[in-house]
Amino acid sequence: MSARSRFMKSLRSGSFTISGEIDPPKDANPAEVVEQIEALREHVVAANVTDNPIGDVIMCTLATCAIMLQHDLEPIYQATCRDRNRIALQSDAIGAAALGIKNVLALTGDHPRMGRSRDAKPVFDLDSVLLTRMFSTLNSGRNLSGEELEHPPSFHIGVGFSPGVEPIEAEVIKLEKKIEAGAEFVQTQCIYDERVLEKLRDATSHLDVPILPGVAPLRSVGMAKFMLANVPGISIPDELMQRLENSRNLTETAIDIAAELVSAVKDYGFPGVHLMPVGMHMHVGEIIKRSGVR
Amino acid sequence: MIHTRHKPLEEILQMLSGAKVALLGCGGCVAFYRTGGAAQVRELAEKLRGHAEVVALGVSNRQCYLCAEEELSGLSDAERIRKIARELEGFDRLEEAEAVLSLACGVGVQNLAGVLEMPVYPAQNTLFMGRRRVEGDIDIELCAGCGDCVLGYTAGICPVTRCSKSLMNGPCGGVFNGLCEVSRVAGEEIPCAWVEIYRRLKKLGRLQEMRRIREAKSHSSSGIPRRVKVQEGVE
Repeated sequence: MSARSRFMKSLRSGSFTISGEIDPPKDANPAEVVEQIEALREHVVAANVTDNPIGDVIMCTLATCAIMLQHDLEPIYQATCRDRNRIALQSDAIGAAALGIKNVLALTGDHPRMGRSRDAKPVFDLDSVLLTRMFSTLNSGRNLSGEELEHPPSFHIGVGFSPGVEPIEAEVIKLEKKIEAGAEFVQTQCIYDERVLEKLRDATSHLDVPILPGVAPLRSVGMAKFMLANVPGISIPDELMQRLENSRNLTETAIDIAAELVSAVKDYGFPGVHLMPVGMHMHVGEIIKRSGVR
Repeated sequence: MIHTRHKPLEEILQMLSGAKVALLGCGGCVAFYRTGGAAQVRELAEKLRGHAEVVALGVSNRQCYLCAEEELSGLSDAERIRKIARELEGFDRLEEAEAVLSLACGVGVQNLAGVLEMPVYPAQNTLFMGRRRVEGDIDIELCAGCGDCVLGYTAGICPVTRCSKSLMNGPCGGVFNGLCEVSRVAGEEIPCAWVEIYRRLKKLGRLQEMRRIREAKSHSSSGIPRRVKVQEGVE
């Protein structure tokens, strides 16, 4: 199928493609979104919008994507199975297409017990494989009830992957099913260790989809420790921890480390990188510049 | 079997609101797991002493099946209780009872409530269908009664009950060291069902079962309340 979004056109063109990430605010202030958009727009071809990570309530993905469209940053709409059954997921997808959203990322979603809304009912009517296929079905001109759609969406469908978890074969089997269900691109959980990049490359070398490894700046030792304790399968080499511990300017160190990781992603032959600024939106341009990938 | 846990005494007393009460245990799952059998009926009666007036104690064979309906027709509540329960104490005072406190599961309580005029209250919260793991003293949910069993494709390990997200197509990205992501906040180690399914399928040489995309569960037959037409024998 032809590329319909800037993001997919960039991937198909063979140029190193960088996606960013917008973190919607927890209140109703669109200026917070616009500020992040302004910081990213010149540096990334598109940006993901998270769907209430760990179930903590923030501005909805659709509204955030709409603000991005108004300000000319192409959104990658993240949908998770945690809060919506197949009715709401399809309804939102059709609304997303009507707004002009062209890229989606189908994820399972964290369990609500992980965050502040721990008493909420976990939905998980679909899973990430079935959500991927739901988007494909809508693209094909039908909804899940079999009704024909005269004006179907035409999304580019992405999926997630956690390269650090064991057993990796179980994750790869699931990724293969996502591709069978219609996934066109993959973005991964953040990676800090070149050995994980190597493992990712080797475990997925038989798959014919672009994979964008995730990179997120490490802003402090505390954040690194938090990531180690909370992000599944993550490993942070001792050398990086020492650089953070010895750093006289954490922002500079964070930019350097992220830039080196972006550069390593390119060296390992990946077609692009998914850069999650985690609050360092203002420094994304500098990270990319120092990485030398452009 | 069905697993239960006792309600706090305050809640029980609130329900009873001063009524004279007959306590009825059950000889089924709750007796096996020692939460609602004869010994627990006596124990609860002891706990209620001084807070509520307990007039009689008894244990039914199975509160989920009392007896044939016609055997109860035309009888008073006291006579019905005599018919369906074995006496532990005080059945001569059954006529004074204004309520029954049942130590059975939710099925038993409803069954009893369906045949008595007087109110029937639950002494327990009904948790789930599962088994007891002696090691670690833990009761584990195993079956949700979803009405569409997938155990044949998942190496006998149920993803509906044992995956915290009831996923149908493999592990999510939250798995770590073979554990479910919820382990991080639950304060206990919850195995990832899909890692267990993967390992067992691999051992059985049936990993191809995991490679097939499994459909989303149909919830059209699991709406509340579920009812099925009785069908005995093998179809």
